Amino acid sequence: MAMSRLRRREALWFYAFVSPWVIGFLVFLLGPMISSIYLSMTDWDSFTPPKWVGLDNYVKLLTEDPVFWKALGNTFHYAAISVPLGLLIGLWLANLLNKQVRGRKLFRTLIYLPTLVPLVAASMAFRVVLAPSGPLNDVLGWVGISGPQWLLDPGWVKYALILLSVWGAGSATVLLLAAMRGIPQELYEAAEIDGAGPVRQFWSITVPQLTPVIFFNLVMGLIAAFQVFSQVYILTPKASQPGTYNASQTTVPYLFDQAFSYYHMGYASAISWLLFAVILVFTLLAFRTTRRWVFYETEVK
Amino acid sequence: MTVWGGETDRATYQKRINLLVKKYPDLKVKLQLIPSDSYPQKVQTMIAGGKGPDIMQVAENVNVYSSKNQLRPLDDLVKSAGVDLAERFGGIGSLYSYQDKVYAIPDRSGAMIVYYNKTLFEKKGIKAPTAEWTWDDALDAFKELTSKGKTWGYGGAGWWPQWWSFAYQNGGAIIDANGKPAVDSDEVVEALQWAGDLVFKHGVVPTKAQYADMGTDVGGDQAFAAGTVAVNATGFWAIAGLTDTKFEWDIAPMWRGEKQAVSSFGSGLAISRTAKNPDKAFKAIDFLTSPTAQQQIIATGEDVPANLEVQKSEAFLKPAWMKSTVDMGVFGESSSFLFKAPFIPEWNEMQAAIDTELADFWLGKEKSAKKALTALQKSLESIVKPAG
Amino acid sequence: MATVVSAGAPQKQHGEKHQDDGAKRTSDAPRVLRVFRATPFTYATLIVVSAILSTPLVFGVSIALSSDQTVSTNAFTIFPSEFRWENFTRVFGSDLPMGRFLVNSLIISVGSVIGQMVSSGLVGYAFARLRAPGKNVMFLVVIATMMIPTQITMIPQFILFKDLGWVNTYLPLIVPNFFSNAFNVFLVRQFVSRLPSELDEAAMVDGLGFFGIYRRIMLPMLWPVLIAIGIFTLTYNWGDFMGPLIYLNDESKMPLALGVQYITTTGVAGQPPPWNLVMVGSILLTLPMIAVYYLGQRYLYEMDISGGSAGVK
Repeated sequence: MAMSRLRRREALWFYAFVSPWVIGFLVFLLGPMISSIYLSMTDWDSFTPPKWVGLDNYVKLLTEDPVFWKALGNTFHYAAISVPLGLLIGLWLANLLNKQVRGRKLFRTLIYLPTLVPLVAASMAFRVVLAPSGPLNDVLGWVGISGPQWLLDPGWVKYALILLSVWGAGSATVLLLAAMRGIPQELYEAAEIDGAGPVRQFWSITVPQLTPVIFFNLVMGLIAAFQVFSQVYILTPKASQPGTYNASQTTVPYLFDQAFSYYHMGYASAISWLLFAVILVFTLLAFRTTRRWVFYETEVK
Repeated sequence: MTVWGGETDRATYQKRINLLVKKYPDLKVKLQLIPSDSYPQKVQTMIAGGKGPDIMQVAENVNVYSSKNQLRPLDDLVKSAGVDLAERFGGIGSLYSYQDKVYAIPDRSGAMIVYYNKTLFEKKGIKAPTAEWTWDDALDAFKELTSKGKTWGYGGAGWWPQWWSFAYQNGGAIIDANGKPAVDSDEVVEALQWAGDLVFKHGVVPTKAQYADMGTDVGGDQAFAAGTVAVNATGFWAIAGLTDTKFEWDIAPMWRGEKQAVSSFGSGLAISRTAKNPDKAFKAIDFLTSPTAQQQIIATGEDVPANLEVQKSEAFLKPAWMKSTVDMGVFGESSSFLFKAPFIPEWNEMQAAIDTELADFWLGKEKSAKKALTALQKSLESIVKPAG
Repeated sequence: MATVVSAGAPQKQHGEKHQDDGAKRTSDAPRVLRVFRATPFTYATLIVVSAILSTPLVFGVSIALSSDQTVSTNAFTIFPSEFRWENFTRVFGSDLPMGRFLVNSLIISVGSVIGQMVSSGLVGYAFARLRAPGKNVMFLVVIATMMIPTQITMIPQFILFKDLGWVNTYLPLIVPNFFSNAFNVFLVRQFVSRLPSELDEAAMVDGLGFFGIYRRIMLPMLWPVLIAIGIFTLTYNWGDFMGPLIYLNDESKMPLALGVQYITTTGVAGQPPPWNLVMVGSILLTLPMIAVYYLGQRYLYEMDISGGSAGVK
């Protein structure tokens, strides 16, 4: 009896402790989400009262809005390349930083730096670097490649965005490195006795041990990539490069335009829900694959 | 009161407000300057947030707001204040009307004008451009003025006020009299083709790549100031950037096609629906667009005042700050052939559609203006709903 | 759906090691394992990568120190060729209240940091240690909320804050942080579940209540993760642009991140924006964050199974 009273008290404390999150969830998330579902079924310009249109917005988006499909396609394209690439580079950098390097604090800071730079500054610098006769194309010229018009050619601007995202790959090193440091030392000691080289050890110990973190990064990376916004907005400013802005249009900037340039709030809400559906599908797909490659220590115990 | 722009704009509006408050101490006006890029969004959130401005600056997008019931029609206030818009502003008095209601009072105006590099023109022995130049005259001059990879004859026509001017000169229209898109007409196609050929066929206008190599955010205005393009069509504001050029320059009216036509720039002042005291707000606008306050617009070199009386005054024709002699009469001369651009409620979508559909054309990937405009016509038809 | 919990929150039990500093781990050992040995090749790669990654920044500094003439003719060089330090004083001397912007940034960021540290600590601890019916389902919801695009709630949230009369105040930017966020809760929960539970069990026997345990036993041990959360929250809110843009109307209330955008308006019409001054603003915006990161980095790297990237962006 005493035990169950203690249990009940514990439960009460639990609810008290998590109440900030619960309140926040209800007020700032669930409530707005419900009203967003409602808005997505209206025609609303944010000034005059919303008009109920049922599923019209969704039907229009899915059947007669080529720009939406193009934006979605661009988003896929961007996510499919930038996420794996960013992960690989992050992993590689983390592995380097995990060695006994002098000045590791400095290197860690330099590699993480891109994450700390305001996008305005970063994109300004990138626009200079990626200019048709800018430094990057100069370098490509040395090896005999005539570089593309990164930010002007609608076909290439996606890759400029990917480049910008890869530049920030260092942000992934934080948790990878933290997890690397948690890998039991004995595993490497044993491998060294067996005569395995550093590369071999990286693939057979480090990577498998890191799979839960890699997986977490993958999911978070996917979610972030599907929501890419500021980079597009700043790297290809609408005012000065309208053509490429539209070519590089991804889902969230399109949503933003619908909401704040064309005042189609209902339509924009519908886009956000379709985007959520897409993210959900991909996240669940990622989870489906976990059995095959994500390695949990509990499984070997 | 919300306005967009930069430091000069802030200073000028503030001076005018100071004059206003001096005359009517009962009025209180707080000026809020918003960077141009974020102006529409900021104003929207302010209105949606219930803290909209009383007076707001509007331009081509005026009917984006008026059609959504965000601006107060001003007809009754205009009438009771006894303001004659046609007398005060001439043809542009009705510029900001929509479905027979006035939604904004013109404040700044001015035709698009032609800037030319006088030094270079004289060196090449070319006569200054005039309103009577034809397309062929212009092209011939541009060819003369171009020296490969160094200077270009003309700054380009990719911006809507520029190529639309040619379209209207050629007898075309973007939106026809019935409110339907009309960009695939032969007249518009011919005009756009001419503008495109300047870049890709004749090479007298820098391509986008060439501009990008000149620097971040460099366009015709900046390239003209740097001396890399010899002729540039833009608004009054570029004068401010030209005070220290290494060459002599002057302005001229836009050349002509089949007929004369040129875009007008400018902005008006509107009263938002949420304004608590529209009478007072109008009193402020009335004063701000009166000669006394409008003098400031030219005195600081900000823009062309919309008030005709000021446009004709000595203060405008010979501004004190102007170091070189500039033919300011050009603005008066151009005002007779301004065309009225379609300020439709779907203005923003229309511009986005134009940008998208013509992107390949301005990159030289799509050579045919006909094809580009046919696609644009189709996309505009899905956006623009004829009024009524 | 059960996989969500087990995969999203893997129960890694590395025991005592992860708390040690990495450098110590091997420097105490008689020799460094081959896999951790830094070869000249390692250094070469690190130096090249760091150089590439910092190029845009060096560029930024170079632009900040350029004269107006250089800016308008676009004659930048990667390394500074001139040193116009007066650009810094010019930024502070402009019509824009830069000092005020800085103070506003501090108010918003510090408020947010306090909110997240207080709330996430409590919530994360509860999810890690306390038992209650419905806890697993709730945690599942916590994880699931990370997937929701912020855009879905942006518009209704705006309406909510408008109805509360909070538009044009700092409240919409600060207050939500007092209700924790999923990512930070996740971080704390992971951190707490790796701490040995003997201490709080002993405290329980001593009759310390649950709140007492949290305050006396847990909180002192939670500092590393709370500081990490503080750094994430600080960098995010310091650089946030969209929130202030939507909610703040008065220039005197705007933070520096928005102020930097305002610098673009200080130029002469028809000329490119004063990029040198914009870069000065950006540097002023970045430097404090670099300092914070440099000083606090060791806490970040203790966040085993955290999720850095997504939380920072």
